[in-house]
Amino acid sequence: MSKADLKAGLFLCRCGANIADFVDLERVASVARNRDDVAFVKTHDFLCSVAGKEFLRETLENNIVDNVIIAACSPKMYEKAFQKTVSDAGMNFAKVSMANIREQCGWVTKDKEDATKKAQMLINAAIKRSAHNENLQQQSMDCLTDIIIIGGGIAGMESAIVAANAGRKVTIIEKEISLGGGIIKIEEIAPNMECAPCLLAPRLSAIKEHENITVVTNAEVTDLLGFFGNFTVKVKKKARYVDDSCIGCEACFEACPVSCASDFHLGMGARKAIYTAFPGSVPATAVIDRKQCLHFTDDSCDACVASCPFQSIDFDETDEELEFSGGAVIVATGYDNPDSSLVKHLGYGAIENVYTMPEFERIASSNGPTGGNIQSSNGGKPQSVAVIHCAGSLSKEGIPYCSGICCMTAFKVGEMVRKQSPEAVIYNIHDRLVCSGPQEQAFYQKQVDEGTNMLKVNSLSSIALKKKKEKIEVSADGITSVEVDMVVLSTGLVPAEGTEKLAEMIHADTNSAGFFKADHAILHETGTTVDGINAAGCCIDPCNSATAITRGFAAAGDAIAKLIPGRKLELEMMTAVIDEDICGGCKLCIAVCPYSAITFDPEKKVSVVNEVICRGCGTCAASCPSGAATAKHFTNDQLYAEIEGVLYE
Amino acid sequence: MNNFEPKIVAFVCNWCSYAGADKAGEQKLDYPANVKLIRVMCTGRVDPQFVMRAFRVGADGVMILGCHPGDCHYRNGNMKTLRRFRLFEKMLEQFGINRQRFFLDWVAAGEGKKFQEVTTEMTERVRNLGPLEIKGFVEREVG
Ligand code: FES
Repeated sequence: MSKADLKAGLFLCRCGANIADFVDLERVASVARNRDDVAFVKTHDFLCSVAGKEFLRETLENNIVDNVIIAACSPKMYEKAFQKTVSDAGMNFAKVSMANIREQCGWVTKDKEDATKKAQMLINAAIKRSAHNENLQQQSMDCLTDIIIIGGGIAGMESAIVAANAGRKVTIIEKEISLGGGIIKIEEIAPNMECAPCLLAPRLSAIKEHENITVVTNAEVTDLLGFFGNFTVKVKKKARYVDDSCIGCEACFEACPVSCASDFHLGMGARKAIYTAFPGSVPATAVIDRKQCLHFTDDSCDACVASCPFQSIDFDETDEELEFSGGAVIVATGYDNPDSSLVKHLGYGAIENVYTMPEFERIASSNGPTGGNIQSSNGGKPQSVAVIHCAGSLSKEGIPYCSGICCMTAFKVGEMVRKQSPEAVIYNIHDRLVCSGPQEQAFYQKQVDEGTNMLKVNSLSSIALKKKKEKIEVSADGITSVEVDMVVLSTGLVPAEGTEKLAEMIHADTNSAGFFKADHAILHETGTTVDGINAAGCCIDPCNSATAITRGFAAAGDAIAKLIPGRKLELEMMTAVIDEDICGGCKLCIAVCPYSAITFDPEKKVSVVNEVICRGCGTCAASCPSGAATAKHFTNDQLYAEIEGVLYE
Repeated sequence: MNNFEPKIVAFVCNWCSYAGADKAGEQKLDYPANVKLIRVMCTGRVDPQFVMRAFRVGADGVMILGCHPGDCHYRNGNMKTLRRFRLFEKMLEQFGINRQRFFLDWVAAGEGKKFQEVTTEMTERVRNLGPLEIKGFVEREVG
């Protein structure tokens, strides 16, 4: 049948008076009835009502047409519903074209005569466009339902437990030697002063015992291939030189003659060349620091080998390249603490007893270098402590943003110091305070009530620290200078090292601060800009532990809800396609595709769209110089017809 | 008295500007009926040839309205459109088409008011320019 012979059935909706009052539908109907390409015109009061859809279905069952035109409200309202009704009547849903004669015509045009003419043109365009409508078929593909999680902090662990409890196989890839991320270095979580290790312990043991969870530590993601429903993650697992028969008994720690700075304690405590992050870590297996171990540096020692009751030491172990497959990936790579250069101007590194917040957290931790004893470098208990808020934040040179969580952590210092030295004097030196939420506000009030001096400065940049004998003097515009035994710099959170590299590898966007950009800041905060790759915890932007965990839940819940064992993954229907007979192989489409959905077939010398990745934006079709690329349901022919249709009858 | 009624075609992306036009409707913010919308999924879909075709077959003005920078539903289709049409604008003059007959801007889904403003202004601008008469080597198919 030639295009000229195609006939459309036109349905006009009065929408009560909502359209009928603004557009002369009788005239629209009588003009349309005279068209050769219109088989019939039907008008209904409320096409979207149950009776209206029934009317639509029955009419189409009794009158065979090639296309259906519905002139009504915005397609954003009921296009899906009408498509469903039309397919119930036995037609392909893509044969429906809508003319928006309510929101974009009747409601925005003062004069009824003008509105009526405009409605006629919009309907004309829809009819002309419909002559080029083609059937669309729902495509689906088999998908993997396992989940790969990058990052084993509190958020990644939560995702793992949620997905594993739902029966999915989960792999956690962690770059450190054991799980726990940032929170494992903290003793108590403000504002409720929950015990962090107590929150973590049951989660760590759940993961350790879970038959569905595999934990790969000391490992780094080297590549990610594939797409939603079928990802392959390549991982480099660094040699540990201790096999997993090790239970972390620590016998070798005694035997090892090397002592070096502990990264877990941020350099403030010592560890051996063979070590674990902390007792009870998951995995419990120790690791040998190749740079420190005398066996590797000068082959002069193998003391650990003899001390090990399980023969776990294996100096010959090598790095491994591993591959994991899954239907979805969850990025939970967390945050980093800012570089110390950001707080150099506050005496950090030059004045003794000036600590960053993360260092204070270690000093106050029961698994820290002092066993949780808050003490100055001389071993004494500080009797006066100044906490400087927003250290290195809210400035062009430093972190330009507010991390939102550091005020609570900063108040925690006073709370924890007072627990050990009830008479201690605490100053919280700040410009702005962020205490959003009832519990946060109550925590602030508690500090004030318990004697913390909240000192408001005129500007953060005026804060200066000076060594004064055994004490530190803190001065700033707007406050009287104070002398204290210890200063804690409340620093913010920055994107984890390697975020940019990982984002590039997985083709995800980052936001202006360098964290992973959310698919949508409100509707889909735990999605990245790549389908099937979700994000949890602080890698989206700084958040407190509760939010990190909730994001972990959400990221996993979303993934497992979409990937259901035994069910296929429904694909976008309005994808792009490239006609290989026309494609000249210029690769322009590959360059413009926002999703890297197009690859080049070197044998045929043509570009090929992966319809699983393609989201149907049509940018390739607009860029293709030969017309080989086309966007389904938004083809050149359809759009040319529509352009002509809105301009002339 | 100027009774020339310009014909204006606006290509709008599904996610922001089409919704912005709907918003104008919900708020009953009227604008000239001269402007007729064509929905594409993303402004990235707008081929310069569509714009040329619109001019050739009777449009006196053409608009492209999409999501604000950073808001494109498909990461950055709008930025590609911006780059594509900055070049295109320069070429318009060679076809004898005044640059002011072409307009590219961003309208968010909530910006009904802005939608009303840009379409009203565009209509006035093109009304003042008068009917498009292409003098270059592009023939008008319909006048
Ligand atoms: S979706 Fe609106 S411009 Fe891309």
